Amino acid sequence: MTLSARYLELGLAADVSDEVEAVWTSVSDRAGSYRVLPDGRCDIILRFDAGQKPINSATVVITGPVTRFYDVAIEPGMGFAGVRIRPGRFESVLGFEPTELANANLIGPDAVSACPGLEALCAPARDQTELVARLTAFVRQRATASRFRPAPLARSVISAFHASGGRLRISEVAEMHGLSERTVQRLVVKATGLTPKAFAAVLQFHRALRLLRDHRLSPAAAALEAGFSDQAHMSRVIRRMGGFSPARLADVTLVSLLD
Amino acid sequence: MTVRLGYTILYVADVEATVSFYEAAFGLRRKFIHESNLYAEMETGPTTLSFAGEAMAETNGLAIRANRKSDLAAGFELALVFPDPHDAYRKAVAAGASPVKPPENKPWGQIVGYVRDLNGCLVEIASAMPD
Repeated sequence: MTLSARYLELGLAADVSDEVEAVWTSVSDRAGSYRVLPDGRCDIILRFDAGQKPINSATVVITGPVTRFYDVAIEPGMGFAGVRIRPGRFESVLGFEPTELANANLIGPDAVSACPGLEALCAPARDQTELVARLTAFVRQRATASRFRPAPLARSVISAFHASGGRLRISEVAEMHGLSERTVQRLVVKATGLTPKAFAAVLQFHRALRLLRDHRLSPAAAALEAGFSDQAHMSRVIRRMGGFSPARLADVTLVSLLD
Repeated sequence: MTVRLGYTILYVADVEATVSFYEAAFGLRRKFIHESNLYAEMETGPTTLSFAGEAMAETNGLAIRANRKSDLAAGFELALVFPDPHDAYRKAVAAGASPVKPPENKPWGQIVGYVRDLNGCLVEIASAMPD
């Protein structure tokens, strides 16, 4: 099991926009598997042979929102270029709701039949940079052309869940916005493809990992700050969602999430 | 060296909108808004009032209860000192602040009223403490 390939988020401010949360690339340096952790997000990914120049073709993958880890088989030299779509923007970019892709991925022809516009992204390219430019241009152009606009309230609701590290209940987020729980449920499912409970659980999982790994808190202190009832509860959630024990955290790649 | 209070930083949903609101409602002036729209400072003398986007809280590794106008107010307040609190209160409410308590005279000689800002944070509108 390989928890991290060479994953790189490109800090190109110009590419990060209302629709795109992050642009990333990764080239695997070994055979094995790459563990994808649930992050409550959907990505559009181009998979290609990084050893080729120019690149003859790419395979497009749309990843849906997941609540559990999964492993992707990788080979040495396999390249990936991806854009992470912000919550609430999936539908305007891809033309269908993210809930249709909950806990699922669309690969190659399946992705193209769900969103025919993706086919043009797979054409031969000079290099990885061209693939990245194509991806970001695609997202921007689709979002601009779409008549679908995310509900402004959805952004505020999602941001409240985020800011709390998934610690607020649906009832609390509903009350603080003067909305019914049903409305919050609808807004979050529409924007993320996950129920508020599942979305909050993913955020809480991510925060716990960061408190352990980046803040170097003890498991007991991390469990308390992340809002778990105790350390055992946190460990169970990390095992279930991440598929590893908290002690093996050092190797994990964590993507950066902003609301 | 002694500790001093350097900044009060409010995490808000919309930094730009909050800066504009504080200018219109309280007559404060902006020092700057960072180009990311995730951080801004106001001209408030030696103790800086700053606004940071909620995404910054997350980036900083914090978890917070977001401030929302329709939620119960959080347990803190900003106290702003005006030459004429009655006039300041009227202007703030006219600019969209939620009225909470109109200014009244306190036994210790101050005039004190309360509003909530666009994000639901409590703001005290007061006169200076008499010498």
